[in-house]
Amino acid sequence: MAIYVPNTKQQQQAMLDEINKTFDDLIAPIPKNVRLDRDLNLPEGMSEFEALRIMKGYAEQNTVYKTILRGAGAYVHYIPSVVKHLSAREEFVTAYTPYQSELSQGILQSIFEYQTIMADLTGMDASNASVYDGATAVAEAINMCIEKKQKKVLVAETVHPETLETVLTYNQFLDHDITIVPSKDGRVDLDALRDMLDDETACFVYQHPNYFGILEDATSIGQIVSQSKAKLIASVNPISLALLKNPRENHVDIAVGEAQPFGLAIAFGGPYLGFMATTEKMVRRIPGRIVGQTVDIEGNRAFTLTLQAREQHIRREKALSSICSNQAHCALVAAMYANAMGPQGLKEVATSCYNKAHYFQEKLQEIGYTLTHAQPFFHEFLTDTPISTDKIERHLSASNILSGYPIDDHRMLWCVTEVTSKEQLDGIITLLKEVSS
Amino acid sequence: MSQLIFELSRDGRRCVHLPKEDIPSYSLDEAFKKTDPIPLAEVAEIDLVRHYIALSKKAHGVDSGFYPLGSCTMKYNPRINEEAAALPGFALLHPYQPLETVKGALVAMDHLQQALCEVCGMDGFSLQPAAGAHGEFAGMLLIRAYHQANNDHKRTKVIVPDAAHGTNPASASMAGYDVITLPSNDKGGVDMDALKSMVDDTVAALMLTNPNTLGLFDPNIKEIADLVHEHGGLLYYDGANLNAIMGLSRPGDMGFDVVHLNLHKTFSTPHGAGGPGSGPVGVKKHLIKFLPNGTVIRENGTLTIKKGDAQTIGRMRSFYGNFLVNIKALTYILILGKEGCKETSLNAVLNANYMMEKLSDLYTVAYPQTCMHEFVLSLEHEKNTHGITAKDISKALLDFNIHPPTMYFPQIVHEALMVEPNETESKETLDRAISVFRHLYSLIEADPDLLRNAPTSTPVRRVDDVTAARSPILKYIKPE
Repeated sequence: MAIYVPNTKQQQQAMLDEINKTFDDLIAPIPKNVRLDRDLNLPEGMSEFEALRIMKGYAEQNTVYKTILRGAGAYVHYIPSVVKHLSAREEFVTAYTPYQSELSQGILQSIFEYQTIMADLTGMDASNASVYDGATAVAEAINMCIEKKQKKVLVAETVHPETLETVLTYNQFLDHDITIVPSKDGRVDLDALRDMLDDETACFVYQHPNYFGILEDATSIGQIVSQSKAKLIASVNPISLALLKNPRENHVDIAVGEAQPFGLAIAFGGPYLGFMATTEKMVRRIPGRIVGQTVDIEGNRAFTLTLQAREQHIRREKALSSICSNQAHCALVAAMYANAMGPQGLKEVATSCYNKAHYFQEKLQEIGYTLTHAQPFFHEFLTDTPISTDKIERHLSASNILSGYPIDDHRMLWCVTEVTSKEQLDGIITLLKEVSS
Repeated sequence: MSQLIFELSRDGRRCVHLPKEDIPSYSLDEAFKKTDPIPLAEVAEIDLVRHYIALSKKAHGVDSGFYPLGSCTMKYNPRINEEAAALPGFALLHPYQPLETVKGALVAMDHLQQALCEVCGMDGFSLQPAAGAHGEFAGMLLIRAYHQANNDHKRTKVIVPDAAHGTNPASASMAGYDVITLPSNDKGGVDMDALKSMVDDTVAALMLTNPNTLGLFDPNIKEIADLVHEHGGLLYYDGANLNAIMGLSRPGDMGFDVVHLNLHKTFSTPHGAGGPGSGPVGVKKHLIKFLPNGTVIRENGTLTIKKGDAQTIGRMRSFYGNFLVNIKALTYILILGKEGCKETSLNAVLNANYMMEKLSDLYTVAYPQTCMHEFVLSLEHEKNTHGITAKDISKALLDFNIHPPTMYFPQIVHEALMVEPNETESKETLDRAISVFRHLYSLIEADPDLLRNAPTSTPVRRVDDVTAARSPILKYIKPE
């Protein structure tokens, strides 16, 4: 049923009559040898009532966990009610990219504010309007660093495996040499990094906190890389920036990351939000949309898409990236989240995550779940497990709890955020005691 | 003019409060610790609400009014899609939950993949790419992997028509291909002689949009496909314009080997002021094994997620794509069904031809034959005679609450306005828009300054883009 076509059959006929054509005339430009001479093999259309019943049926086949102790790139945080309501405003939802500035000032200003938030949190000079996700943000950042004589890319072994895989996918047919910098006890091996950096190195990429939740020695990494010609790319969790030194302080040239923790549902992996912020020096190489402040003909403050000479619609094959549609609405949500939290709220979220994760780690340690790497961490940590991770996962699942992420049979990556209470954490320890003994 | 959120900030104001901490404090090593204040605005909830409501009033969505932005298919976004995507059984799933706890999600993704296969005449789909250009890039990698697997290493070029979206050459180039530009002929289609002279065993693929960005279906599509295939190349279909042909013709039957779709165009998911979209990539049988990891596949009859085998192109991003967007598109397809798909496209074509016909006595239609879902006007003559440009007409439309057509694209038409009315607009809306377009045309003679000075009713007047690019201000800086 084409229920979204408002024109009645009579109107359609009237329009055809008016232009003196039939539907057959209208599709005449499609050559007969490529016409579909049968109906599509799809079911009949249905009412929204029926469609929703099918979708609910699918949704109900999935388990919605009450408690989630799993992160690994997707983090559960409280999403303020005001963020959900405001971001659902139809003008934000049903607009296209703000090509017509005069009609899109609200959207352009919201992106400008988002850029300010991301640039300020990372300590950088400028941010773009978003890319697809945290993994592609890293891949795009690498592209910004490649020079004719610098095509070697160093990536820390401790980045998210899917980030590394995305980077390898993006670069597989290019003459870029992607090399892994090994880790030592869960962190970047600084000696190895020092040895591997050379004049042909375009950049080094690390994640902080890394895939295992561990805080990298960002200060030393910054010092080492800034003594070379290579650029430094850090993938960071924006929540952690309320507690940790910002990337700029750690000599980072391009700060990127996954901003899903800023107000976006975990949503089975998407849509999420890749952010990218960089120095003034490199801003003309950043991919994607950028909004700038300017004036209108009467001198009033106004906003517009800018620095478009970088982009695919102008540069075509010479553009550094093909990105066009990005994750604009997710960026709007992230900005609303940051504004709703404010400095104090964000600090409380980050502190609560930090404290609860450390409390839980301590309790786990007491029942034989030892830290795999005795390193400082943020809200995620890796433990060895006294019994198989599979058994832990199944046991907690029976109580509607999603356990930490099984890295293998005997190591589990746990994540605790502000949404889990002490009482729940204590309860989980009791459950684990049952299954461990 | 709205104040920026940062200008509304007052020290100590709060919006969200967290529960009282019930956990002891743990110390963080000074070496890691942030020492400077967190640079965010401090506002109350009422400030935040009024701020964003004010911003939303200075924006224009499909829900606000007519949006005939060519190649973007700004159709109505059904509310039911949003309701389906908000179901906790979708929105609250962790991407690394055990597969047996997300069976419904996998079934839904598989369902969508199957439906897209049928609409496009393809054999396999991946929902991983996050947007159209991402799907194109995936498609180019697939093509490259295919040739590589055949030990065919001399294919270094991709042919792209001059009327193509800018993303096409950019995506080909990201996959390491050299791009060669194919001219259009005087009817707006592929110049067959030029194509013949370009195709050889160094060509990996031809990227085509069909109907193309002029809204024209290429009459030689079969011959084009045969020609490229005879020389061992593959055909890539840019699905931006699929809304014109659902149930009427299928890229797979035209001979295309790889397609990408924009679910935020044809399949009614909202564009969100620039995303998130979803750009599934579809392939014929001979390319299925190269599809990205993170794709839902069937293994021994059971749905699972592709993890990695020797021949995959790898992974386009983390996890499995813009899942909730895909849920919205599936809801839409269920409601449309087989006849709905076809009626949707027929009405998109009808609305475009109706509007074109009703304007063609005044405006110059760049290629005045029967169009598909969109058509392109040219203001070149008016610019030469009266100094009125495509931009002037566009800006004047703003004063009538009509979002302008796509301006200055495709580049092969001078002073172009690319109009795509789409099927969810009524005759009444089209008639009003037609009368506005006609009124504005009359002003070219009668009162050109009115056009040059437009818009006057928008929150700001014409915006100075040149200054914005020359001395960029890309974030708010607090005055000292």
